[in-house]
Amino acid sequence: MTGIRSLAAVALAAALAAAAIYLHDPPWVGSLTSGLRPRETDAHGATFRWTTGRASFFVPSDATVMTLQLRPGAPLSKTPVTVDVNVDDRRLATIELPDPLHPDPDRWVLTSLPLPRRATSRRFRRVDLRVHRWLDQFHLGVQLGAIELKRP
Amino acid sequence: MTAVGDSDSRRSEHRSLADRAIRAALLHFVAATAALGLVGYAYVYTFLIDAPIHSDGVSYYVYLPAWIGDGDPTFETLARDCCGGFTADPIGIHRWPETKRWLAVHPIGVAILMLPFFLVAHALSWWSNLPRDGFSFYYQYVVGAAGLAYVAAGLALLRQLLLRHFSEAVVLATLVTIAFGTNLFHYAVYDGTFSHAFSFFLIVSLLLLADLWWEAPGWPTSIGLSVVAALIVLVRHPNAMFLAFVPLYGVRRSSDLASNLHRLWQRRGLVTAMIGMTMCGVAPQLAVYKWATTHWIVKSDPDGRFTFASPHLFGTLFSVERGVFFWSPVLLFAVAGLWVARGWARGWVAVTVAVLLANTYLMASWYMWYFGVGYGHRAYVDALGVFGIYLAAFFAWAAERPRVATAVRTVTAALVVLSVLQTMQYWTGVIPGEKTTWDQYRALFLRVR
Repeated sequence: MTGIRSLAAVALAAALAAAAIYLHDPPWVGSLTSGLRPRETDAHGATFRWTTGRASFFVPSDATVMTLQLRPGAPLSKTPVTVDVNVDDRRLATIELPDPLHPDPDRWVLTSLPLPRRATSRRFRRVDLRVHRWLDQFHLGVQLGAIELKRP
Repeated sequence: MTAVGDSDSRRSEHRSLADRAIRAALLHFVAATAALGLVGYAYVYTFLIDAPIHSDGVSYYVYLPAWIGDGDPTFETLARDCCGGFTADPIGIHRWPETKRWLAVHPIGVAILMLPFFLVAHALSWWSNLPRDGFSFYYQYVVGAAGLAYVAAGLALLRQLLLRHFSEAVVLATLVTIAFGTNLFHYAVYDGTFSHAFSFFLIVSLLLLADLWWEAPGWPTSIGLSVVAALIVLVRHPNAMFLAFVPLYGVRRSSDLASNLHRLWQRRGLVTAMIGMTMCGVAPQLAVYKWATTHWIVKSDPDGRFTFASPHLFGTLFSVERGVFFWSPVLLFAVAGLWVARGWARGWVAVTVAVLLANTYLMASWYMWYFGVGYGHRAYVDALGVFGIYLAAFFAWAAERPRVATAVRTVTAALVVLSVLQTMQYWTGVIPGEKTTWDQYRALFLRVR
């Protein structure tokens, strides 16, 4: 009985260790997003997703440059809409979207950002967007278009 | 003589086999129900709906992302950034007009009970480098399973309580009926972040601890009872009325009440300490109200109101739209159990009737007496442990009457199967989420799609 229990304990510990190793760099995170509404298509056929105040997605860790397409929604405040971009919890850039009161709905703001070259053991880096709008009772952020990546 | 002896021995062998099967089923019932719940959970959130933390579940939960995720108990950060795709308002916080501070619609109890699940999700999110925003992948699926875990724990405690007073066969029948013959399974799996699964667990805990406390009032039981009492209030304030089960234990007539008061007076030191501990447990909620509104007690739901002069009693109890006995008709056996209960269960009839009547009047007087979208009347899920006692009392009464027992077994089995089918119909959208009419119900009866 003691032998079986010891074996079970060892098997459980091994399973937990294997799960921990697997979950440290799970292959499926690449397709995960958080804080992004379902995909939409605009009048020009461009696809985009609305962010909320915060949005996260993943990019392959070997990507060297990421180009974001962003545009604000309807004019709601004269305070400029700014988007903080963080990669793996480190600040990469702050993007300001122009003309808060008269945004051009057809114009994307394209920003190319070099990604950190720090070595990582993970397959993906996490990109967090934080949108500053300072509006109560309104949880849409900005429109996020296609994300272009430069990889070696 | 030999033939009679053989027949007796065969009968006794069958009984012994049946007893062993019942014991094994009872032993594994909770684990099997939890496993089935996990299968249902995977099915619902893979194929049917997106996010386990949804609707009212968000407003019960928001304390954890705000307090721990954002480190901002004022909710300002959450209000600005929230919350993984939700549009305005469903996040369940609103600015108090006078102070301009944020106040959540729902109290903090569910969030406290979700805390262990939240911390697991938080640790996993850190480990896997997922966003620690309180609404990403692990939070949704780990916290979303909290309701199922508490329902499983509640069923285990209900089993323990009932086994103290009823036979194993009666307890097994009761557990199966409560778990699958009512909307409990739905509120464990599909809407497991609402308050009802948590209240079910807490009220069953209260009943068991009260039973133990009156038998032998030790400190561990007293502390447990105080913690559970505080959590019951913190999860859903109107459920404070269930605390009456403690002082009114075993009260059948006025002399019993005098006897209980006398015994409470004898234990006054302990009782005072328990009241103090319960008040301490409730204090954080009062502090939240005071900070947000400058009042100790507030109506936290800005739209909520009672219509005490015109309660929807029929609607709450019997209507197709939401009636508890329409959607969980097997609970009528529990009502019958109130009449036929004997012994220990008889001692709780008076308080059960008083609490259920008061609760029904209160719920029927709520402006949204049907409690919005849902399966069956969800507010009664909280009290299913109490119903369980009288269901067991009824089954025990029926078991002593072979003809009645056969009829009760057949009807109960049919009603449990019907409830399971209707749960599936609700999950797959065959039955509407609200305002179901009799014509709709008849047209959709037993239809798979």
